[in-house]
Amino acid sequence: MVEKQMMGHHVDRSICAWFWHQYNHHRNNDQMSVVTSPTHYLFPLIRHGIIFLACTQLELPPLLPIEFLSRFADILSDYLCAGSGAGATLNEDIVKDNFVIVYEVLDEMMDNGFPLTTEPNLLKDIVLPPNLVTKVLHAVTGNSSPSVGPTLPHAAASTVPWRSTHPKTTTNEVYVNLVEQLDASVNWDGNLRRCQVYGEIQVNSSLPGFPDLTLSFTNPSLLNDVRFHPCVRFRPWESSQVLSFVPPDGHFKLMTYRVKELKKIPIYVKPQLTSDSGNCRISALVGVRNDPGKTIDSIIVEFQLPPCITSADLTSNHGTVDILADKTCRWSIGQIPKDKLPSLSGNLVLEPGLDRLHVAPTFQVRFKIMGIAMSGLQIDKLDVKNMPANPYKGFRAQTQAGDYEFRS
Amino acid sequence: MLPQMGAAAESLSKASSLVMRIGTDAHLYDDPDDVSIKPLLESRYDSEKVDALKRLLALIAQGADVSHFFPQVVKNVASHSLEVKKLVYLYLLHYAEKRQNEALLSINCFQKDLSDTNPLVRAWALRAMTGIRLHVVSPLILAAITKCARDPSPYVRKCAAYALPKLYNLHQEEISSLEQLVDVLLRDNSPAVVGSASVAFNAICPNNYPLISKHFKRLCEALPDVEEWSQIILIEILLRYTVARHGLVRESVLFSDVTHDSTFSSVMSRCYVEGHELWSGDGRGFEEVEMGTCKNEDVDLLLKCTAPLLWSQNSAVVLAAAGVHWIVGPAEEVKKIVKPILFLLRSSSVAKYVVLCNILAFAKAAPLLFDSFYEEFFISSSDSYQIKTIKLEILSTIATESSVPFIFGEFQDYIRDPDRRFVADTVAVIGFIAKQLAVLAGTCLEGLLKLVLSEPLVSGSYQIEEEDGVLVQAIISIKSILKQDPSSHEKVIVRLVRNLDRIKNSASRALIIWIFGEYSSMGDVIPKIAPTVLKYLAWSFHSDEVEAKLQILNTCAKVTAKTKGNNEDSTLFKKILNYILQLATFDQNYDVRDRARFIRNLMGNKTKNNLDIYRDLIESMFCTKPASSPYPSANIRVYLPGSLSQVVLHAAPGYTPLPKPGSAVIENPTGLNNSSDVDESEGSSPQYSTEDNRSGYDTGTEETSENGDYEETPLVNISEANVDQGQTSQNDMSNFVSTDLSEMMSRTALESWLDETPSFSNGSFGQSHSQNVSTSNARVSFNDRNFKLKPRKSHVLLEPANSDGLRISYSFSTEVSSVSPLLVCVDLLFENFAKETLRNINIRFEEASGNSISGPTDPVLEDSASMVSPDKIPTFPMEEIPLLSPNETVKRILQVRFQHHLLPLKLHILWNGKMHLGKLWPDIAYFLRPLSLDMNSFVEKEKQLPGMFECSRRCIFSDHLQELEQNEKISVNADKSLVVAHCFAVKILSSSNFYLVSMDMPVSLKPDDMSGLCLRFAGEVVNSSKPCLITVIAHGNLTEPLDVTVKLNSEDTVFGLNLLNRLVAIVQ
Repeated sequence: MVEKQMMGHHVDRSICAWFWHQYNHHRNNDQMSVVTSPTHYLFPLIRHGIIFLACTQLELPPLLPIEFLSRFADILSDYLCAGSGAGATLNEDIVKDNFVIVYEVLDEMMDNGFPLTTEPNLLKDIVLPPNLVTKVLHAVTGNSSPSVGPTLPHAAASTVPWRSTHPKTTTNEVYVNLVEQLDASVNWDGNLRRCQVYGEIQVNSSLPGFPDLTLSFTNPSLLNDVRFHPCVRFRPWESSQVLSFVPPDGHFKLMTYRVKELKKIPIYVKPQLTSDSGNCRISALVGVRNDPGKTIDSIIVEFQLPPCITSADLTSNHGTVDILADKTCRWSIGQIPKDKLPSLSGNLVLEPGLDRLHVAPTFQVRFKIMGIAMSGLQIDKLDVKNMPANPYKGFRAQTQAGDYEFRS
Repeated sequence: MLPQMGAAAESLSKASSLVMRIGTDAHLYDDPDDVSIKPLLESRYDSEKVDALKRLLALIAQGADVSHFFPQVVKNVASHSLEVKKLVYLYLLHYAEKRQNEALLSINCFQKDLSDTNPLVRAWALRAMTGIRLHVVSPLILAAITKCARDPSPYVRKCAAYALPKLYNLHQEEISSLEQLVDVLLRDNSPAVVGSASVAFNAICPNNYPLISKHFKRLCEALPDVEEWSQIILIEILLRYTVARHGLVRESVLFSDVTHDSTFSSVMSRCYVEGHELWSGDGRGFEEVEMGTCKNEDVDLLLKCTAPLLWSQNSAVVLAAAGVHWIVGPAEEVKKIVKPILFLLRSSSVAKYVVLCNILAFAKAAPLLFDSFYEEFFISSSDSYQIKTIKLEILSTIATESSVPFIFGEFQDYIRDPDRRFVADTVAVIGFIAKQLAVLAGTCLEGLLKLVLSEPLVSGSYQIEEEDGVLVQAIISIKSILKQDPSSHEKVIVRLVRNLDRIKNSASRALIIWIFGEYSSMGDVIPKIAPTVLKYLAWSFHSDEVEAKLQILNTCAKVTAKTKGNNEDSTLFKKILNYILQLATFDQNYDVRDRARFIRNLMGNKTKNNLDIYRDLIESMFCTKPASSPYPSANIRVYLPGSLSQVVLHAAPGYTPLPKPGSAVIENPTGLNNSSDVDESEGSSPQYSTEDNRSGYDTGTEETSENGDYEETPLVNISEANVDQGQTSQNDMSNFVSTDLSEMMSRTALESWLDETPSFSNGSFGQSHSQNVSTSNARVSFNDRNFKLKPRKSHVLLEPANSDGLRISYSFSTEVSSVSPLLVCVDLLFENFAKETLRNINIRFEEASGNSISGPTDPVLEDSASMVSPDKIPTFPMEEIPLLSPNETVKRILQVRFQHHLLPLKLHILWNGKMHLGKLWPDIAYFLRPLSLDMNSFVEKEKQLPGMFECSRRCIFSDHLQELEQNEKISVNADKSLVVAHCFAVKILSSSNFYLVSMDMPVSLKPDDMSGLCLRFAGEVVNSSKPCLITVIAHGNLTEPLDVTVKLNSEDTVFGLNLLNRLVAIVQ
């Protein structure tokens, strides 16, 4: 399915057909970020099976369309999936159901090939997101719900474009959530090659008026790299490593950071492969190494069977093992039981003529730990100024696996 | 009306029942045309209109053409409902260009909306109005933008700024008023507006540095508050301005030679400034360039204001800010861009590849910046192949002795990766690193050898291609390491050769055999094993493949030639060689046979005295290697950091390098037109433009990047009547004095003089070419009109195959109809290919009412009045052809009135009582009458038809090349430019009906320069009797295809546009 809109010069739809052809041909070495077609430069972005494609004929910073597309995809899923329950991702049907909104949002976000309004709060005032109330109203009265806001939000005129100033019914609370991704890579001999945390500070704020927040850390020196939401003021950070900002309404990503050179990993995988005379025995053990003090949830170990393997027979003493269509082997463990170490064992049959397995698959691990930030970053306090009543403040933390891999 | 309403109501209830179920627009998408859309659009209720519009949108999304609803949709522009408006705008923008005339109807509503109280309505109206791209209304749009630029709402002002580039694309005449608007918007208090204004600036006048200089400080300070998207553009503008104003910074990383490979970075800095096409690769340094220092307060301010942007959440902003620091930042501070760029790799996976491409360019110039961050480039299993390879390349660039153990440790894991393509790349990189760092050569060789000899690689039975790739790459790497210091790695060669029998792949075998031959006389062990190896090769020769066979032949010849003296070995070698030669002479492959013959003749039984000569010959043939250049500098492709070109590694259209350092001399920051773009040899000042200066000088030494603004000696007086193609007279003057100034004054004197004198913009860099089309001032006009026109193109109306052998072809004639000026004459040629005579051939037109032709037996056309179609368009029939005997041809003239200049006319062709349908396709180029004008009245007329009546297109003309080639054979002396001009005129005149008003030829000292060739044609549109003026201007060198701009002025704009397209098609 194709959705698009022309800006300025006419671009023929056939470019999509061209791209589709190329895409299907080169499925295996996917994720080209800049494609040169005979007539245009294309910037594809693939999210949840939907392809967003931008194209240009002229020189421009390539990150601009790439960044715009991912922003557009974010906003679109924010718009369309919020109503249909948590965890819903963008899919073809949702886009189809709301195609008018997609058009309207895109029109507001882009003018003559340049991004116009990309602040989600602003956009939501101009093009109203579909929600249950309008849907019910729609159904009862038979009138189609207005999808366009009545007037220009004042924020468009203010110096703080990310915050809408007209008062809404707010609950006067603010939540700060540390979401960290742990990247680790362990060598075949069990040495930790690399371990780092990529984290985001997600804030959900529903504060009335014009609040001014200050967030400080107990150990800011941990932070290796940082990037900020535009609302963060640079000066206080430069001088005293404090985040001072006027928050937008709702959910947003205040800051992303990286903590490098960590020494401890919570989970280990010990893979072993031995092979002779056309057979390869595989075994893998999973265990907790440095107990983080909280339960480790939804552990999944995945590895790609090498192409030279014709058949595989794998069993485990805990959890389920599936071999997917693309020769990916997925071992879903869940939580590690108290009494035993989960282990996987089995036999792989190599292609005829091949005696030994000379390649080594990489084991990727996914997990989730609630209530802890593996980097050790701690929030000291959150000050709220400019507020009539003291709001409720909540803090959470969570760590999940990023590029967490074990080589065999 | 009633049943329609009923249908609408029914559809509505149906729709709402669906809504009950889903509550979304899905039903509209799934079957958008299950109800009749038209009545819904004309409904009185907004909700029904919305429904209809959504259906239309669904059809557009599915790729259907729904432009026929345009009139109904346009009416709804006046609706008060915002939602209807929004949807109407979406539809309008999609189709306005196609349906220009109807789109005009909406303009009034837009103008009314522009004074609405709701700023959102004003902004939308402006966006829609500028978005519909109608040439006709560009003055109205300009007025609207001017109004909105002073709107109280910043959002509207922002939209006004974004509207400027749209207007500029549409209508490039009034740049000065657009620039003034940009100026106004740049002054704005709201950072959002300033950001949008900078986007407009970049699109309209990217080289108007004086404008920036006025606002520089404010712009820098506003930078952090500007919207992120505009930041990207604004950073680039400020960078260009700084370089143009103050030059490159001497302390920047590009010029400091402490930390890195200085040749690369000097190439890099030159590429940034000059672009690739102009860089010829000579060793010329960069001394002549003006250098600024970072002590300069402007540079300092720019650096200070871009530094915090390195923390932006938008990766494009980070990269743009990093680019500024890279180019103008002092070398000591460049370090601070490293961590933010590396962080981009982790934080936005979509941008990864682009960022890596830029890091690679940075790392090549300054590897030490990145060398301690090698871990960042370690590969993770989720990376795509493209990312893996570029990471490897970066690793190979930044590897140092301290980091290499870790990198190699990592590589050991990569070699066991299941993706064998990636493994082959890794092996290549190992070879590369070992070559750079000689200390490691031993370890690397050992590792590679182990890899080569490992079992699955040599077994050759499985996954042939992929494994072989790794094997071949490993041996190539070994070979390149050996080259550095062959004598100390003798054992490696011996081990390779020993295992030759195990290796089956022919490319690898050929490589090993070559290595053996190359180093056969080296060290102690190799000469000893040589006889055995040769024996083995002789034994395996027949089973080898071509590639290896050729190497065996070469190697045997080499070894034999290298063995001096007459000991046992040499006789043995000769024997083996003879044996192999014999085998090769009867080989199936002719390459092998040729090689054998060649070697036999070289090495064959020679007499004693010339043996030495032959030996020398052989040695120099086989044993000396061309010295390989250590650095493939010709392949360096560097573009500005963060640009698309840097990623795709070719200059994308629209790529402009940095301006010439120090080229912007701004004297008076408040004036708008005082910029200058000064090159070394091109000075400019009006006071030197005396007549005396204009003769006898050569054409300068330095080409500007655009079009080589050479000036010619005017041999003929400059005719005042010439149309000045958008070039100011100032510009002409400044060009006149260009080169003798540089002769008169030394360069330093010139420069100091330039600094004091205000000079003029000659608007080069990046400006639209169309303004600079005409460069020469002297012309010769001539009136030789005796062209031999080519036969006109004829089209087939009727093929003999399906018409009893009757063939009718037609071509448009330049004759003017004697009956009515509205008629177009068409020459018809009737040919009889059949063996029998054809009778009563005639042609008549299908009438709109379709009632006059009742059968083929009808009496044919005695009464011309019967042919007058209902809407009173006279079409005059041709005379009947009573008899057409075999092989006879008859010509007739048909006078036709086409109702539309693009649609075909349907004809009935009658013969022998039969009827056949035919279509007469119009050729718009003949819907004109020649209009005889002289030069002055042409110019006058042209002036009356400015702006929206004017359109132009560019194309390439290359017919003259052929013509010139022919002419060259006949006479050498013919004036080539005359030939080209002729050729051009003939081309146009033989396929259209114009009057050639004038033909101006450039007079130039450069004999081949055709720039300024200008032809003017005039005609009158048949249907409307309105004049139509064509100006064709060529540009370029006559030995190459010419770059041609065709400009058309006509009141009949739609006709004009179509005609223009046709003309361009003719020229091309």
